[in-house]
Amino acid sequence: MATTTAPPITRTKTREPLVGKRIRRREDPRLITGTATYVDDLKLPGMHHAAILRSPYGAARIKSIDIAAASKHPGVVAVYTGADVKDVGPVPCGASLPGLRVPHHHILAQDRVYFVGHPIAVVVATDRYIARDAVDLIEIDFEPLDAVADPEKALAPGAPAVHPEWPDNTAFTYHQAGGDADKAFAEAEVVVKQRITSQRLIPTAMETRGVVADYNIGDQSMTIYSSTQIPHLLRTLVGLMLGQPENKLRVVAPEVGGGFGSKLNVYAEEALMGFVARKLGKPVKWIESRRENYTTTIHGRGHVDYYEIAAKKDGTITGLKVKIIQDLGSYHQLLTPAIPTLSVLMLPGLYKFQNVKAEIVGVFTNTVPTDAYRGAGRPEATHGIERIVDMLAAELKMDPAEIRLKNFPAPEEFPFNTATGLQYDSGDYALPLRKAMEIVDYMKFRREQDEARKQGKLVGLGISTYGEICAFGPSPATPAGGWESAQVDVDPTGKVTVYTGSCHHGQGEETTFAQLAADELGIPIDDVIVGRGDTAKIPYGIGTFGSRGTAVGGPALYYAIQQLKEKIKKFGALLLKANEVEYVDGQCIDPNTGKSVTLAQCAGAAYRAMKLPPGETPGMTATYFWEPPNFAFPFGAHIVLTEVDKETGRIDIKRYVCVDDCGNILNPLLVDGQVHGGVAQGLGQAMYEQAVYDDNAQLVSGELMDYAIPKATMMPWVESSHTITPSPVNPLGVKGVGEAGTIGCSPALVNSVVDALSPLGVKHLDMPLTAEKIWRAANGAN
Amino acid sequence: MIPTQFDYAAPATLDEALGLLAGDGAKALAGGMSLVPMMKLRLAAPEKLVDLGRVSGLRYIKEDGANIRIGAMSTHHDLESSALLAAKCPLLVQTATQIGDVQVRNMGTIGGSIAHADPAADWPAALLACGARVRIASKAGTREVAIEDFFVDTFTSDLQPGELVVEIVVPVDAAGAKSAYVKVHQPASGFALVGIAVHKSNGATRIGVTGLAGKAYRAKKSEAVAADPDKAAAVVAEDVEANSDIHASAEFRKHLAAVHLKRALTSLA
Amino acid sequence: MKLTGTYSLPANMERAYEALRDPALLTQCIPGCESLDLIGPDEYAMKMKMALAAVSGQFEGKVKLTEPNPPSSFVMLVEGQGKIGFVKGSGAISLKPSGDAATEVTYEGDVNVGGTIAAVGSRLIDTTSKMMIKRFFDKFSTLL
Repeated sequence: MATTTAPPITRTKTREPLVGKRIRRREDPRLITGTATYVDDLKLPGMHHAAILRSPYGAARIKSIDIAAASKHPGVVAVYTGADVKDVGPVPCGASLPGLRVPHHHILAQDRVYFVGHPIAVVVATDRYIARDAVDLIEIDFEPLDAVADPEKALAPGAPAVHPEWPDNTAFTYHQAGGDADKAFAEAEVVVKQRITSQRLIPTAMETRGVVADYNIGDQSMTIYSSTQIPHLLRTLVGLMLGQPENKLRVVAPEVGGGFGSKLNVYAEEALMGFVARKLGKPVKWIESRRENYTTTIHGRGHVDYYEIAAKKDGTITGLKVKIIQDLGSYHQLLTPAIPTLSVLMLPGLYKFQNVKAEIVGVFTNTVPTDAYRGAGRPEATHGIERIVDMLAAELKMDPAEIRLKNFPAPEEFPFNTATGLQYDSGDYALPLRKAMEIVDYMKFRREQDEARKQGKLVGLGISTYGEICAFGPSPATPAGGWESAQVDVDPTGKVTVYTGSCHHGQGEETTFAQLAADELGIPIDDVIVGRGDTAKIPYGIGTFGSRGTAVGGPALYYAIQQLKEKIKKFGALLLKANEVEYVDGQCIDPNTGKSVTLAQCAGAAYRAMKLPPGETPGMTATYFWEPPNFAFPFGAHIVLTEVDKETGRIDIKRYVCVDDCGNILNPLLVDGQVHGGVAQGLGQAMYEQAVYDDNAQLVSGELMDYAIPKATMMPWVESSHTITPSPVNPLGVKGVGEAGTIGCSPALVNSVVDALSPLGVKHLDMPLTAEKIWRAANGAN
Repeated sequence: MIPTQFDYAAPATLDEALGLLAGDGAKALAGGMSLVPMMKLRLAAPEKLVDLGRVSGLRYIKEDGANIRIGAMSTHHDLESSALLAAKCPLLVQTATQIGDVQVRNMGTIGGSIAHADPAADWPAALLACGARVRIASKAGTREVAIEDFFVDTFTSDLQPGELVVEIVVPVDAAGAKSAYVKVHQPASGFALVGIAVHKSNGATRIGVTGLAGKAYRAKKSEAVAADPDKAAAVVAEDVEANSDIHASAEFRKHLAAVHLKRALTSLA
Repeated sequence: MKLTGTYSLPANMERAYEALRDPALLTQCIPGCESLDLIGPDEYAMKMKMALAAVSGQFEGKVKLTEPNPPSSFVMLVEGQGKIGFVKGSGAISLKPSGDAATEVTYEGDVNVGGTIAAVGSRLIDTTSKMMIKRFFDKFSTLL
């Protein structure tokens, strides 16, 4: 039978893609007008308030606790101490290492406290002022014990034992080797050694932690609202701690005011509030004060590292030996002991050498536990390798750019297997360095530097080149699964909600994921909202950390949409009575007739379900769990120009240039923001921040009056640009950029200042580069 | 912020305020930039706060013959943005711009600051350098003291219980007067690790130093040799028991005082 | 935190030594001290009220005088606890003659501070401790 058909009508995409555009963050209006909902904004009917009594001692035995006066205080509902919660499961450590010693981490101290801030008792009252007043009425008879806060002192014979059962204060030792480092060092033409520290930092999220727990006596279900980066993992782990079935536990992360890794954790207070709510049958709220935030929320870094690098006289690096002393604090939080193992993986940096020998000694101290803080192990390693490579260049009188360029793998050597067992997938590591050198006009600067030095000026240039392990990660390489989930719902009216298991909290996925979904579905961005942070709404997810939000959550969303598009097209074909349709610009089009139906019409038909395409189900939703085949490996280069005032020790940052290769860029504005924020935190470590404990394990930088985070006025102008090497491991070609600025910053800055001071014989400086430290170094009293 | 419980009064007149402050346990709130953080930590637990924010007639900057009169409740920003001070006592403008941050300058007051007598605050250095006088009121009447007698010791002023700073009086600069305030910020708090105020007028030089010692002081030995910046710098911290903390040692503070005094004197020469 | 200093007292060594160990005199001279009650040989329970700038707090603690070596030295141990933190200090006090009717007192002490007061930085604690010692000796000299 002959039929006449009209010539096929082809429609090209008419709308411009949103991906790649500098689109302002859609979440910002509510954030900057104070209309967002944080944990502390929640007010549940009949809600009680909790305040926590914490140890003022670094180490002490609790001889007795008298809660009588506090319990009788008008308005106090209950007071609980360690004895009441001894059967609640321990605060979990998700890391496993051979021979790891794991102290039982009760949610309230039992007969002993291990750090200043250690929770001892909780008061529940009808308002938060009464609760706090009653804390002061609890009488505790302490027997103070010797404490130790410095990890190297903790390892010395005779040091006070943090946990009496382990007098050597050693939680674990860990060895990893690749190649034959001993041979490389035996054959080396030059060896450089240096002790390099990455001081303990306090993450200082603008919003402190907070928890509201609610318990429904009727159906025995519990809801925990917490300022967390990982609502699903929290649900699983707190459920286990409390013996609360996971299907009767909902976790909500409302707006989260910054995390930087400090909310990638499961904290005692999250379980404690659940315990209280269940015990009393009432909702209860606890909001962390800044002082509590500094003495109980995890700290970061805390490395004392011993580096040795071996090389040939021509600058070819042949081997690296590193001993890492990791200050763990008094307990393991969720990932505490795993963090330095990331440092070991990252030790080769971007370099080719194949011989590495690394040792980690994890040390207990009477301090707040350390854990993941922006970069988590990778800034420490990058700082170390980039410092020691600079020192090697100085020793060999080589240019620090030249020595780096000499030791990068060539583009044709990819995929490149590192000495620590990673496979770097792609890249040209010289590219960002050369671009950064071009931006600062490297050769011209060096000439000017010679001139300036003749005039007695101390000007310096510091380079850091860095790689990152991002997009955590393939599941076998992570403690809790490394995939991510996404769900796409189209309403009967055609409006779209995408849900992501990655619980972004300031990274901007509410914008980037909407860009992605709007492009893929060919609809206006205003028709898309992005849901997150509620285990009752969203398929099980992993969370946002380790530069994974876009790099793992993004592909999950991409594939969920592709799946859904197939379904949309089937309903489109049904409605158009066509064999096959194309999906373009939010419409299904019959190529033979040119007739079309909208996404809303398809969705409406799918929910009304008068008729279904063959083998198809009603509804318009798709869910996808994506497992990444490998990490993503961003790389880049930072160059910092500084001038140092010899008399005052003041560092003047003249230029700050960074070139980052984070693969394809969904929104350049947000990537710049991530880089700027990352640089600010790197700069904080390099110049200002340090958690200072005294000899009695008192945190003396215990408030923002003494802990110096960089303010806007202390920031240099950051000149941020990119090279783009799409990641081959995911369909979006993205790699992750959340930590890049932090990782690249501190070595570049320190290298720059050491370069400035090098005419005075300065070879190394530990962070932070305080004015006094610079002054002493510049005046021969290092 | 969860302080201990306190009573709060917001009097409208000075008389009322002085009456409220006469009792035990009352503390004046004059901006709260130092007091409130201490209350937050419960290091301060006043029974009664007397908020001076609504007391009329304490916020002004006006010329009065050879003097400029500054109401105690004038904010740092009021001084920072005063055209009168810019023309007739610019040292105070220079100093105000370097206090804390915008929010602190909008809330904090000059009277509150000096009454607190923080040894690292900025105002003491400047007021010592320009020869200010402080007017103090109480139920018993009003008295005036020279700024040098006002700062007694660490966090201790000459204010007696029930007294309130009501006005700061500074002389109008003579023709050709020059001044400078140089400061090294403590990076966390913004207080002065060291702050040096220099005021040259009619051939005399007055130097105020803050941050260095237990209280702000006039560096009289340096003043005597101010014509020679090197000599003046060499004696600025002589016999001073300098402060030391996690941000700077005593030695470094002394060194910074010397360097910045020398620079200030050189720039004004 | 280490504290050292030297003061001159207008009395001979024997008198100065005795006075420095006299609870009645100490009560009057320790800034903020409200009472010292004997609870053992050379050991006293102390009540103290500290008020400085905006900071105020009550402390309860102990003062113990040990290692007596009249009239030239002894050691003073002080500990106090309050809601705003705790203080623990030890001071070696040595006396030497300075003319007929004067004595030079040197103290070498170590002060440890904990709790909330420790969190607000050493600036406050360092300058405050120095001031309190100075006030002590100033008053002591007057009363001696």
